[in-house]
Amino acid sequence: MADRITPRRILRLLAVSAKMDLAWLLRDTKYALIGMLGELVNNAATVSGTFLIASRFGGIGGMSADEVLFMMAYSTLNTGLFILFGSGNNIHISRIIGRGQLDHSFIQPLPLSVQLSTGGFSPFTGGSNLIAGAALTVFSVSRLQIPVTPGWVAALIVYQIVTLAIIAARSYLVSAIAFYAPAAAEEISSTVIEGSWFLSTFPLSGMPAYMQFPLLTLLPEGLMAWFPALSLLGKPPLNLTAYYPIAFALLLSLIARAVFKKGLKYYAQKGSNRYVPFGFRR
Amino acid sequence: MKKMLKTARMSALELLNNGVIYLLPDILIKAFTLTALLFLWRTVLSSGADAGMSVAQMMTYTTVSALLSEQLNVKTAASGWLSEGVLLKLYGRPLPVLAQLFAQTAGGWVPALLLFSLPAALAALALGVTLVPASPLFPLSLALCISLGFAVDVLFACLSIKMRNMSWLIDRLRAAIAAVLSGTVIPIQLLPFGMDKAMRYQPFASLGGAPLSVFAGTADAGETVALQALWNLIVWPAALLIWKKSQEGMVSYGG
Repeated sequence: MADRITPRRILRLLAVSAKMDLAWLLRDTKYALIGMLGELVNNAATVSGTFLIASRFGGIGGMSADEVLFMMAYSTLNTGLFILFGSGNNIHISRIIGRGQLDHSFIQPLPLSVQLSTGGFSPFTGGSNLIAGAALTVFSVSRLQIPVTPGWVAALIVYQIVTLAIIAARSYLVSAIAFYAPAAAEEISSTVIEGSWFLSTFPLSGMPAYMQFPLLTLLPEGLMAWFPALSLLGKPPLNLTAYYPIAFALLLSLIARAVFKKGLKYYAQKGSNRYVPFGFRR
Repeated sequence: MKKMLKTARMSALELLNNGVIYLLPDILIKAFTLTALLFLWRTVLSSGADAGMSVAQMMTYTTVSALLSEQLNVKTAASGWLSEGVLLKLYGRPLPVLAQLFAQTAGGWVPALLLFSLPAALAALALGVTLVPASPLFPLSLALCISLGFAVDVLFACLSIKMRNMSWLIDRLRAAIAAVLSGTVIPIQLLPFGMDKAMRYQPFASLGGAPLSVFAGTADAGETVALQALWNLIVWPAALLIWKKSQEGMVSYGG
């Protein structure tokens, strides 16, 4: 019988993931630290590229170098949040589906959604980018002399959650294909998450509106850092309301939920047969 | 050679086994990213600051970077060979492991070249992007880039053996190199604080950024190719030696 899901139960499940994460750090400290460093270097390289360009040209498309730095801080913070809650392939969900590992979840006495939302929590090894992002945010905010009020901090937190929700919803929406074609679509979540990652760290200011709008709708890279950062700076772009990312996240999540459920139903009926007798994937 | 061609053919067909439709997300994201990047660079360069390259050269640089992305940033199956079961296939076939990796990788390039690069090149030409190399040394520079790319990939494969199969970490490091050091995404000559001059001579600059600079005419072709040849001469022997020493350290434990 499935456990009753209460906030306390969720916290206990998060604690289980955190304990496993700590166990990895303590038992395999060298490799865990190398892994943390690797994530940090990767993100630093991605965002520094854009910042270096902004420094060279004194800003990009009307955004000053300091504003670009704030945008990079926002992006780093979100990368940190992504790794903090998504270390178990629970956001790269097509990998779990494609590898036939969803079956493992079916035998657990917990709803799938609860398992997936708590299973990737890694506060000990996944926090390096979050800390770097927080430090970079404080630095850029001080350079821009933004008046930091409780309301502003709350807005930052809400935007971060919304950005993460958009990343997850987009991944789940596209990953539903893996229910039908597990081998071909196993890495499709990587394609949608990482395929355009660089674009998500690039300021879209100065681009024509007919390029900006698709990047806020069809391929919402503009919602990963550019739009929220400008909103937090008090100037949401394109005369759109600062609530636009929230509305977009809600709509995308609803669509993703419906499509994913349909795929899951198909999977429950057909199953997966990815493994060869000697243990490897086909 | 016949065996290698067969392997390459198998690799190309493997990607199409489930139908072209499953390659579409990747192709669409590539096409959209290229379009957006062209506008982004136009915005950046129109600020009036001296970039050391014209807008037309930057358009060419970005377009060719997207068209030849897999060749400019060589990635073989060796990256994930310990966890993906690739190892068993490679050591069970009558062809040297490295030869198989080359053939597999080159074969895997074909679908993207046909389904993305060819149509995108035609579209770019129609939009007025120059796709004629500024120097006749471009094919040689591209060949040296691919060759060095394979050598670097072998080194990363050896690193994955040493790192006990942390292939995702290797992936992250490679992505970092591609983002800043190779010049594939951001041309090295656009980096500030004198970094452009310092970074031109590091080995990763001889990967994607080198043939792109030769193609767009933003670097001295002779000097670039000579530097690429030098890095090939240094990195390949090191890669083969480390590869030879690493093979016995392979540990694979399931998918």
